[in-house]
Amino acid sequence: MAVPRLGLRAVRLSEASFARLLVAPAVLAIVAVVAVPLAYSLWLSFTDVNLLRTSGAAIDLFGMRLPLYRWVGLKNYLQVFSDPLYWDSLWRTLYFVGAFVIEATLVGLGVALVLNERFPGRPLMRSLLLVPWSLSRIVVGLLWIGILDFEFGAFNGYMQRLGLLTGSVAFFKDGFSALNVLVSVYMWNQAPFATLLFLAGMQSISEDLYAAAEVDGAGYWQRFRYVTLPALRPILFLVLVLCTVNGFLMLDLIYILTMGGPANETTTISWLGFQTSFAFFKFGPGTAILYTLTALCLLLTLLYHRLILARFEPEA
Amino acid sequence: MNTISRRRFLGNAGLLGAGAVLADGALRGARADKPLNFSGWVFKPDTVKDYVEFYNKKHGGQVKYEAIPWTAYHPTMETRAFAGEIVDVMYCNHNNRERWYENGLIRPVDDLPGTDELKKKMTPANLDSLKSKDGSKLLGLPYFTSLFVLIYNEPMLQQAGIKAPAKSWDELVEHCTKLKRDKVSDTPFLPNWNNSPSGTMPQFMTDCFSEGANVFDAKNRVIVDQEPGAARAMERWQKVYKANLVNPEVLTKTSSTDTHRIFWTGRYAYHTNHSYYLKTIAGEPENSKLAPKKAKMAMYPGTGQTYMWTDSYVVNAKSKAPEDAWKLTKFLGGNLNGDWYVQRQWCLISGLDNPYPEMYDHPEIIASYDRWIDLKLLREQYKKGKVIAAYKEPWYGEYDTKAVATVHNIIRGTTTVPKGLKDLVALQKSLA
Repeated sequence: MAVPRLGLRAVRLSEASFARLLVAPAVLAIVAVVAVPLAYSLWLSFTDVNLLRTSGAAIDLFGMRLPLYRWVGLKNYLQVFSDPLYWDSLWRTLYFVGAFVIEATLVGLGVALVLNERFPGRPLMRSLLLVPWSLSRIVVGLLWIGILDFEFGAFNGYMQRLGLLTGSVAFFKDGFSALNVLVSVYMWNQAPFATLLFLAGMQSISEDLYAAAEVDGAGYWQRFRYVTLPALRPILFLVLVLCTVNGFLMLDLIYILTMGGPANETTTISWLGFQTSFAFFKFGPGTAILYTLTALCLLLTLLYHRLILARFEPEA
Repeated sequence: MNTISRRRFLGNAGLLGAGAVLADGALRGARADKPLNFSGWVFKPDTVKDYVEFYNKKHGGQVKYEAIPWTAYHPTMETRAFAGEIVDVMYCNHNNRERWYENGLIRPVDDLPGTDELKKKMTPANLDSLKSKDGSKLLGLPYFTSLFVLIYNEPMLQQAGIKAPAKSWDELVEHCTKLKRDKVSDTPFLPNWNNSPSGTMPQFMTDCFSEGANVFDAKNRVIVDQEPGAARAMERWQKVYKANLVNPEVLTKTSSTDTHRIFWTGRYAYHTNHSYYLKTIAGEPENSKLAPKKAKMAMYPGTGQTYMWTDSYVVNAKSKAPEDAWKLTKFLGGNLNGDWYVQRQWCLISGLDNPYPEMYDHPEIIASYDRWIDLKLLREQYKKGKVIAAYKEPWYGEYDTKAVATVHNIIRGTTTVPKGLKDLVALQKSLA
C-alpha cells in the first residue's frame, strides 16, 4: 500500500523505542521529584552540612542553588552508630513498630470480618470507619490529649463522674506507658485503612469457595482459616508493609504527645533524625540516621515478601 | 492577508523582550524600598496583624506578615534563607541569634539611626543578652523579656492554715508535704519540668541560681559538678518527686503553656514558670479557677535569682530595603511611634515584659498589671534576673535539648545526683 508522502522525513522507531519515548516524560518527572531529592539527601548524609552557608561549590538546579558541602565520608554514620541514644531509639522503634503492626493488623482484620457480614447499618458503619484515618495526625494527637490528659481529659472526667475512679489515671506517667499510648493512638488512626484493604480483599473472594467449604462441613473458623486467610495473603503483605513503613516514619504524634520524653523514653529513630536535623541543624548526621531507617524498611519489606508472597501463586 | 517577514518578527520580539526587561528593572527600582516581609512564630497572630496594619496605615509601610509554628520556626527561616528568600525582619529567639549572625543571615544594628538612644533605655542585663558573643555588636531589638517566678495558690494555702507563701525551699517542701498529708492536694507542687526547650533546662538553671550555684563558668563551660548549690537543687527535686509531691505527667508535657494550664485547675499549691503565665492564671476567670488574683507571685526562694532571657526582632543582612526594615524593627522593638506602641500592646494583652524600665511608670501599664500581679514585686524580681552567655555558643541548642533526658533521670532517681551532674558536664564537653 502506498504511504502518503509527508513534508517531514519519516522517523522509524522500533516498538520498544516508541514505548520508551512515551514513558520518558513520566520518568523525567519521577527523576526530578523523587530520584534527585533522594540522591541529594543521600549525598548530604556523607557531608558536613551548614544550611546557612552561601559560598562554595554548588549545583544550579532549575534556578535553585544546591550547595555541595564538604565530603566527610562515613563520619556521620560512624558518629550515629557510636551514639548509645541511637541504639536505645532503635530498640524502642522496633518495639513500637512491632506492637503497632500487630495491633493494626489484628484490629484491621477483625473489624473487616465484622463489616463483611450483613447487618443493619453496615453502610453507615463502613463510612464512619474512615473518620479516624482521614483526620490529620496533629488533630488525632490533640484529640487524644483531650481524652487522656490527667487534669482535663474526658476519660478521667467521666470515670470520676460515674464514680468508677477516685483519682485520675496518669497515662503519661512514665516512658513505657507513654510509648504504649503512642502505639494505641497510632493504631486507632491507621487500623481503618487496614480494614479497608482487608474488606476489599474479602469481597473479591468467590462465594463458591465458601459454599464448597460449607458442603464439606467447615465451620466459621475453618472457613476463615482455610478460605479467607489464604486468599487475603497478598492483602496481608500490603498491610504489613504499609504498617511497617508508616510505623517507622511516625513522627507527628510524638511531636504532639510527648516530644520524645520523659528522658528520651519515647524517642524513636524518626524523632531522633528529625531532632538532629531540625533542632540541632545537623543535617549530615540527621540524614544518616534517617537512611538507616530506610534500609530497615527495605529489609523488612523483603522479609515479608519472602515469608508471605514467595509461595503465593496468583489465580490464572 | 498581511504577512510578516522573519526578520521583522524577530526584530519585534526582541524589542518586546527588551521592553519587558527594562520595565521590570524600572518597576523593581521603584518598588525596591517598599514591600517588606516580616515573619514570626505563632503567638497571638491577630495581635501582630493588628499592629502591622496600624504600622502600614500610620507609617506608610507595605509590610507582609507571616506566622510560622514555633517549633518549625527557626529551621524554616534558615531553609528559606538557603533557598534565597529574603525575609526583611524576623523574630529570633536568644538561642539562635548568634548562629544567624555568624552565618551572615542577620546584620548588627549598632550603626543604624536611633540605636544608641534605645541602648541607653534598656536594662544592662538585657542589653548584654542582645549582644554578639564578643560583646561588640547589638544583634537586634527586644521582642520581649521574661524570667522564672514562683506562683502560689492563696486559697489553698489559707485552707491548710498556711499564712504566708514559702520564703525558702525547705519551707516550700514542708508546705507541700503538709498539703498532701492533709489531703488538700494530691500533688501540690508544679515545677516547669516539661520536655520542651522552655521547660526543664531553664527551670534547672533557675533553681541552681536560686541556690547560689553557677551553671556555666566565664568560658561558658558547664561546671555544675563543682557547684554544691546545683547538687542541693537536684536533691530537692529528687525528694519532691519521690514523695509524690509532683504530678509525674509534667515530664511529658510538650510546652510551658500546657504546663501552666494545669495550674488553672486550682488543685496545686505552688507553680514555677515564666512570669507572663500568671496573667492567664490570675487574670482570666473564663479559663482559670484561680482568677481573679487568687494565684499570686512570691519572691523566688533562696537567693531569689532566676533565669532571664530576651527574644528579639532582627534585620536580614540581605534586605533590599534596609532603611525600611530598620524603621519597622524600631516600631516593633523600640519606640518609633513615640508611645512604645508594640511593646505596650504586649504588656497589656499578654503580660510580656520588655527591657525598658520607663514603661512601667505608665499609668495604663500599672492599672493593667494590677489586675493580675504585684507589679512592684515583679520589678524587684527582674532586678534579680540572671542572664547567661552560654546560649551564644554553637553547641548550646543541642546541649540544651539533650540535657533534658539527664535531668529527668536525676529527678526520677534513675541516676544519682553526682553522676547526673557529671553527665551534664560530659555532654557539654562532647559537643563543644
